Amino acid sequence: MLDPSLIRPEIALDDFLPIFVSSVLAMLFGGFYVGIYTAVKVKMLKSWAMPIAYLFWLFTAYCLYIMGSLMHVGEFTAKALIVSMIGYLLLPHAVYHMQHQVHEENEH
Amino acid sequence: MASSTLNESKQLATWYFTFAFILFGAQLLFGLVAAIQYVMPGFLFEILDFSVARTLHINALVVWMVFAMFGSVYWLLPDETGIDTVGIKIGKLLYWIFVAAIAVVVLVYIFVQVGPADETTIWFIMEGREYIEAPRWADFGIVVVALGFVANLFLTGIKGKQTGIVTVLMADMIAFAGLYLAGMFFTDNISVDQYWWWWVIHLWVEATWEVFVGAIAAYGLITMIGAHRKVVEMWLWIEVAMLFGSGILGMGHHYFWIGTPEYWWEIGALFSALEPLPLVAMFVHVLYDWGKTQGAEMNAEHTDEDSVRSVIQNKPAFTWFVFNAFGNFLGAGVWGFFHTLPQVNLYTHGTQFTSAHGHLAFFGAYATILIGMMYIAVQGKNNIKVMNNTKSSIWAVSLIVGGVMGMTVALTIAGYVQVLVSRAQMGATWAGYFDGQAGMWFAQGMDWRLIMGVVTFLGFLLLAKDLLTTGKNPVHER
Amino acid sequence: MANRSVWSDNRFWQRSAAWVTGFAAILLIWLTFDTSMQISMGSDEDLKNGVTKRVPGPTVINYKITYEMDAKRGHEVPVIGEKELFFGRDDWSEEEAGALLHLGKLGSQAKNCMNCHTLLGNGAYYAPDLTKAWLDPAWGPEGSLQAMTGKPTKEEAMAEFLQHPSQYPTHERMMPNLGITAEEAKGLVAFLKHMSSIDTNGFPRNFGKIKGAVHGK
Repeated sequence: MLDPSLIRPEIALDDFLPIFVSSVLAMLFGGFYVGIYTAVKVKMLKSWAMPIAYLFWLFTAYCLYIMGSLMHVGEFTAKALIVSMIGYLLLPHAVYHMQHQVHEENEH
Repeated sequence: MASSTLNESKQLATWYFTFAFILFGAQLLFGLVAAIQYVMPGFLFEILDFSVARTLHINALVVWMVFAMFGSVYWLLPDETGIDTVGIKIGKLLYWIFVAAIAVVVLVYIFVQVGPADETTIWFIMEGREYIEAPRWADFGIVVVALGFVANLFLTGIKGKQTGIVTVLMADMIAFAGLYLAGMFFTDNISVDQYWWWWVIHLWVEATWEVFVGAIAAYGLITMIGAHRKVVEMWLWIEVAMLFGSGILGMGHHYFWIGTPEYWWEIGALFSALEPLPLVAMFVHVLYDWGKTQGAEMNAEHTDEDSVRSVIQNKPAFTWFVFNAFGNFLGAGVWGFFHTLPQVNLYTHGTQFTSAHGHLAFFGAYATILIGMMYIAVQGKNNIKVMNNTKSSIWAVSLIVGGVMGMTVALTIAGYVQVLVSRAQMGATWAGYFDGQAGMWFAQGMDWRLIMGVVTFLGFLLLAKDLLTTGKNPVHER
Repeated sequence: MANRSVWSDNRFWQRSAAWVTGFAAILLIWLTFDTSMQISMGSDEDLKNGVTKRVPGPTVINYKITYEMDAKRGHEVPVIGEKELFFGRDDWSEEEAGALLHLGKLGSQAKNCMNCHTLLGNGAYYAPDLTKAWLDPAWGPEGSLQAMTGKPTKEEAMAEFLQHPSQYPTHERMMPNLGITAEEAKGLVAFLKHMSSIDTNGFPRNFGKIKGAVHGK
């Protein structure tokens, strides 16, 4: 019934839900990652929680991978997503480092 | 609302907050009308049609936020610069001009609604461009008022102490006022029309407003929990770099389908993927400052838990600020990100997904922090040293946050049905559109949106009661 | 402390913010020049010579427009075909067609279309998307909407509906009467036909091509 040229190469009908769910989870896990990381650093949480933070980063990266592959993103977008993930991994470190340094310089 | 204890700038700020709050109520009321029309299409048909209700809903939204933003600036200026705001008389005059112009625009929206297809309609009734429908005469009024406001800000900033926060606000507000000019012309070419339309909408909402929120959050952290100014201000500059760095070219995600070239796909995808990063960073920042100051308090001479004092000097405002950090990340970040890449946006663009994102993002990123500023104004006006939550403050924040989240989830489910039925399968025709709207999940989504809208409105009423009465409540430390 | 690093220096971040903002803004302005050239409206000459423009000139109303899959680009694009009558004529001059489009675009704003419908996907979500409304099979010769108005052509059927929308209820959710005159309706239909000829990078996808797909995927 369908002209084959009309069948979308990008997204299968059954893939929409996993795409939405994985992209939401990617962001939420990302939030947990930076939240737990910061909470441990400012000693609101004990230091054993730190591996959990990194575990959440792994979840984030995995969700983004699922999302990207189901969406059939092009090469360029795939690279953009990888760069974002690495940026995401480094971001709280950089933020904490800078804030900490300013704090030290100004209060001692 | 006038109070003798406030200096004139802060007094003007309370005027701005008051009118902003009234418009906030109007926004919710007309939103409810539109929500009812989804469920009962005959409601007010050809009296106050959906298009009119929605125009009022989104215009009241934009205008109340602009009012509350101006109010916030007038509130913090004397604190930051250490001097009285320059040109406060003109500021007050402009306030009344602004209020009068809005009243006229609203009355014309309600009673005239549409006009003939000629320039007089564009000049005097309505421009018919989503969010900036205001007729051309009002555009000029808005520019005059905005320039007057910016002039006051600049003169005060230059004369007084120009802190980092004031510097950021000065740069941000001039961009904010200037960008409005991009929306003040008519063209037959709808692609060109929407290209510039996004300069106003996107560069306001995803760039200049976000930076404004960054500056207000910085002020709030300093005044409410005594965060270290140097840390906060350095952080503000980093935020500015991240927000403008990702936000300005993030514009690309609006240029996928309006007739603009395909290279915007790549630009939009790249910068959209980066856009959540500053939001995450803002979230970390609030957590960091709170943890640091609270941690310092906890480590200082106390031995038992009970004697640890909270460092928060305005609990209701701080609650709203925390919801801002969360809401910005959730509404703008999560709900924005999951339909921003062109591959999936092809199917989600212009469905209830957009609406879900719009509700949570405007609320989470802007409404929350502006309500927080209103609580700060109530605290200042009533000379309260430590402001505590009342029952109404807690109920108000719970109902409003719960209501908006509920609406967002309901709209998301409705949008999902629309994507599958109307977009992926039927190809967005007239018939495809109505097939999607007829879906059971869609219809129930709309029912729940209405219910959650009512919940939000109840929260609003409690918030009104709390803002009006909490100042005299004895629970606060004076 | 002695070891002040550049990373915790306010001036450094202030300058960085200014540079990043300036750089992004300049890039945007540069892209705006390029995009503006590409989305400027074409002319009658372009149409006659078969020059493809992303936004064709107003005289596109003299031609048949279809929405075809472009294998190279991987999505549909509007294709301008042979001459076609529009309100009984296929010789609308550049001035006449331009005036009609001008009237229609003004009308689309004066009647606040965008606060129920979406145009190019932007607007409200209370009524169908109008981006490719001209190509909707429902308005075509065998379409239900054309049949409902009893008019012999697509453009007349659309104009009739726009003038008396509540006489032709297609759904529980109806379009209100907006006082659209016969001349304004003509302009609006020209505006819709012109909009359908804009190259929107394949949005909306598979427009009107799949019939009955909902019930059997």
